Amino acid sequence: MAADRSAAELERFLAERADHLLRTAMLLAGSKEAGEDLLQTAVERLLRRWRRFDGDPEGYLRRTLCNLATDGYRRSGRWRQKERLLRSGLPPPQDATGDVDLRDALVRLLLQLPARQRAVLVLRYWEQLTDAETAAVLGCAEGTVKSAGSRGLARMRELADDWNDMAAMCGQWGQRS
Amino acid sequence: MNTDVEDLLREGMERFTRDLRAPAGMPLRVAQRRRKRLILRTMAGIAAALASGAIAVVAIVMPGADGGGTAEPFVPAAYVVSRVDRALSAAEPGQIAQLTITTRGAAEPGAATATTTAEEWSYGDEWRSVSYSSAGHPVYDEGASSSSVYTLVSHPTRTWARQRGLGRPNGVAQPGKPVAGEHPGSNRVMPRGARVLGPRGCEPGDGAGRLLLQPGLPGIGFSASAPPATAARALRTAISCGILTEAGRQRVNGAEAVELTSRPGSLVSETIWVRPSTDLPMRVVVRSGPGEPAFQLTADIAWLQPTAQNLARLTVPIPAGFRKVPLAEVLGLTVLQAQGMQRPKTSCLPARAGATCQH
Repeated sequence: MAADRSAAELERFLAERADHLLRTAMLLAGSKEAGEDLLQTAVERLLRRWRRFDGDPEGYLRRTLCNLATDGYRRSGRWRQKERLLRSGLPPPQDATGDVDLRDALVRLLLQLPARQRAVLVLRYWEQLTDAETAAVLGCAEGTVKSAGSRGLARMRELADDWNDMAAMCGQWGQRS
Repeated sequence: MNTDVEDLLREGMERFTRDLRAPAGMPLRVAQRRRKRLILRTMAGIAAALASGAIAVVAIVMPGADGGGTAEPFVPAAYVVSRVDRALSAAEPGQIAQLTITTRGAAEPGAATATTTAEEWSYGDEWRSVSYSSAGHPVYDEGASSSSVYTLVSHPTRTWARQRGLGRPNGVAQPGKPVAGEHPGSNRVMPRGARVLGPRGCEPGDGAGRLLLQPGLPGIGFSASAPPATAARALRTAISCGILTEAGRQRVNGAEAVELTSRPGSLVSETIWVRPSTDLPMRVVVRSGPGEPAFQLTADIAWLQPTAQNLARLTVPIPAGFRKVPLAEVLGLTVLQAQGMQRPKTSCLPARAGATCQH
């Protein structure tokens, strides 16, 4: 039998989970503003069927966020924008802050990835879902998740390797001078 | 250096989103968005035409742009624009904008035509909107105080709710700060023949449709709760961006008025009458273009001094006998009623949606 949920129940759910979902949305959308917009659109869709909604609202919202992010990405044609600045314009890593800088660079690269790859990485490493769970959220085969995740991580590793090479090179220059 | 990319990525994501908090009152914000969408449906024909004819709109509004086709050269009414601009700058937030809005149109293409009204007041951060059914009964009375206390009264359900921290919805600019679409150099006098390009909101491609359908533009703004800016600021944007040009003088309500209008053949026709003595807009009429579902929205604007009596209009009164309930209850009911998910005894849409309200 379908549930008969009240608006107050939705408000309670959002009070508990909206922060986390917003963080997911921001990672999928690339900015705070776009993330808020994405989440509000997803919540609006949930609200439409809330009264008779029978299921896990967080899972539904997560799935909707991914679908919206993927659709928006395709529509906007941003997939044409290739990875930029990270390879050529990276600031040289500085000593102990190198890891911190690299983390930021990885996130920047994440935001440049094609939507599907990005969604996979967000779901796998932010939401900490398994490949099977990620596949269920994205509505694709587990193999697709694995290959997309693998391609995304490969890009990340390339970046990290370059980063480390640069760090080593900067270290050598520092010693010479 | 740690080269475990997966860990670093996870930590990077954590850092990137660390200070993020969902805005308070998300259900309300979502409901407001939903409401806006429902109201937009009343303009489905216009919106569809705009969406499919975006290029045409750009050509109409920015005829001087490259590839603008056969449109006439764009000549802004520099003198009127500068005077109105200055008057609006002075009027807001110094004066209270009072709008009486009449909407005539069908909720959906093919549906029966209905006439609904709303009264709105806007003053700095404060606003209030009262919507009425086609029978003239108040449906919703809502508003926010300067301290961001939001009050919503639902007349059909005889309930009311109040919540702090819900002053203006997302994307709403604060007074004194520029809003999306506002012309940064709006106090400048535009030379004759000048093309309005460059500033945010005045760009070809999205400027025209967004400005003409911008929430907050009197006559087409959805509700005082939805407008990102005050009425004055929105008007200033439309005028400064050159969407409107001078079309002569007319008498409106017995007074002489300067007429500013969108160009003939626009998909959405908008006309603003300005009172020469004050240089402030006194009426705005928005009509659907030829071949579109008939829709007309008329907003009569009065500029009130912020006296105690006039400021009192910004306060949402709680009628005697109405029951205080959690905001979620009023909101949930409102949204569900609007969506038709449930058939309550009273079925209403916000008045400006152009729908009927059955009591």
